[in-house]
Amino acid sequence: MTMIECRQLTREYRKGDAVIRPLDGLNLDVPRGDFLALMGPSGSGKTTLLNLIAGIDSPTTGSLVIEGTDIGTLSRNQLAAWRSEHVGYVFQLYNLVPVLTAYENVELPLLLHKMTRRERHDRIMGALERVGIADRETHFPRQLSGGQEQRVAIARAIVTDPPILVADEPTGDLDKPSAHSVMSLLQGLNKELDKTIIMVTHDPKTTDYATRTLHLDKGRLVESGAAVGEGAPA
Amino acid sequence: MTLFRCLPYVLRQVVRHRVRSFLTIAGIGVAMFLYTAVQAMNNGVTDATTATANDTTLVVYRKDRYCPATSQLPQDYLRRIQSVEGVVSATPMKIVVSNCRTSLDVVTFRGVPKDDFIAERADEINVVAGSFDDWLKRTDAALLGETLASRRGLRPGMTFDAAGITAYVAGVIRSEDLQDQNVAYTALEFVQLAGRDQLGVVTQFNVKVEDASQLERVGSDIDEIFDTAQEPTATFSEKAFIGRVADDIIELVSFARWLGIGCLAAILALVANSIVLGVQSRLSEHAVLQTLGYSGRLVAGLIVIEGVILAVIGGVLGAVGAIGVARYGNFALSVEGASIPIVADASLLATGLLVCAVIGVAAGLVPAWQASRREIAECFRSV
Repeated sequence: MTMIECRQLTREYRKGDAVIRPLDGLNLDVPRGDFLALMGPSGSGKTTLLNLIAGIDSPTTGSLVIEGTDIGTLSRNQLAAWRSEHVGYVFQLYNLVPVLTAYENVELPLLLHKMTRRERHDRIMGALERVGIADRETHFPRQLSGGQEQRVAIARAIVTDPPILVADEPTGDLDKPSAHSVMSLLQGLNKELDKTIIMVTHDPKTTDYATRTLHLDKGRLVESGAAVGEGAPA
Repeated sequence: MTLFRCLPYVLRQVVRHRVRSFLTIAGIGVAMFLYTAVQAMNNGVTDATTATANDTTLVVYRKDRYCPATSQLPQDYLRRIQSVEGVVSATPMKIVVSNCRTSLDVVTFRGVPKDDFIAERADEINVVAGSFDDWLKRTDAALLGETLASRRGLRPGMTFDAAGITAYVAGVIRSEDLQDQNVAYTALEFVQLAGRDQLGVVTQFNVKVEDASQLERVGSDIDEIFDTAQEPTATFSEKAFIGRVADDIIELVSFARWLGIGCLAAILALVANSIVLGVQSRLSEHAVLQTLGYSGRLVAGLIVIEGVILAVIGGVLGAVGAIGVARYGNFALSVEGASIPIVADASLLATGLLVCAVIGVAAGLVPAWQASRREIAECFRSV
């Protein structure tokens, strides 16, 4: 079942007199439960596509339908509400709020939802336990390693239980063991919780964790990789 | 409701950005201290000089004289003043001040006929320490206004020197009349004898009339009686009289209002500066919040609330500090025997808080609006 449907998706920016088109008439279907890796050279449109799917950017032309909603037609406020329900975003540089503890960072998305304090606490602790960092709940980002920070960021992305996770080079700033650990975690979320994951990466090794890999160049898909993600390398 | 749920996030931002918050709050506190002090003086001037429907007191002064030392009227004017239609009572008063210049610590002696004073004023005056009896017994006894007693640390049983007069403190009084709060009431003869050849000479007559509507007519009648006398009179309502003798102070306080407006502008600039810097340094943080689903409006609301919290905390500290200093210092601006108290009450604190809250909102609006309109993807690209 198709979860994300891109048709003739185009994104243009104006820079002075020049028009930059990082996405140029892209067509893509992403089925529910997919773990899609997007690769390509810098400026190929990977992050732009990711931002469009995450609802933090809007297409110039074309349509982007996610779970039956054409998100290009939503107003800014509707889009914000849609994001809070449907998407979790994992950044390359974690983007945790430095003055908040791990617990408080994970709490941020839940403040938008009406629930009891008990329920909120349980969900936060559940997310932190899921990513294996519950013992660091009172730590501030500066007191955590890069891998731990990324785990907190993943906990923040999944705490509202969104069906889609987007990850922009989630291992780009991590050493090898941490990268492996984060990728295993994402794979687990995909397999065990049936999260649809779209990940931008420059590292070919991380594509081994995905179910398929697509390559972009100059705003278009240039090659499709075979499904490879049956299991993570040991 | 969502904004309310997000309040802990805003409070953590304020508490954990310690240096920025401390410096902003300290700056606002200092500016608010000045603003409140100016407002307290302004309130004192307004209270002391603005006529109300309850004002029924006239002051009969020597014409063309402006200070107690030169206003000398024969005490026997009393009988003729009392005979004017509409006059309820008249009190001859000899005034001696410890300092002819404008000062925050002037002792003003008001010599009055004791029996008449008690008969006319006992209902309006509350003796908070000591007693009227003690005052009546001794010729050198003084009843001190509460403000004067607090400022000088005087209690019943003590003696004090001022303006060349040594007086015994028989009691401390509290009164609705602001002028009573900052004077020492003694026997008329006692003050007259303190000066050379002053027996039978008074500084002024305080005249009570039947109602406020008669003030002008009674004043004109009194001045007409003494128009051709050797010592002609000039009669004013009490508030107008204070406005006349304290003209310089009023002018200065009026000018100080600009200082108050300057303080408000300083608060606005401080809060706006703090918020703008905060928003700029947290560009990606706000983009992250929006990525998590926070709407632009909500992010704007959080920024404005942060500004309001900083402004209100600084405002409370500054205003409470100024009110505390004004209250415990018991200051009053005195000139030529007239007293303008510095009025610092709870309404001043409430006004200060309201002003700070409004400034907090005003200072945060533009940066909040800008932050809410920023493209999220653009923010990540620019960081």
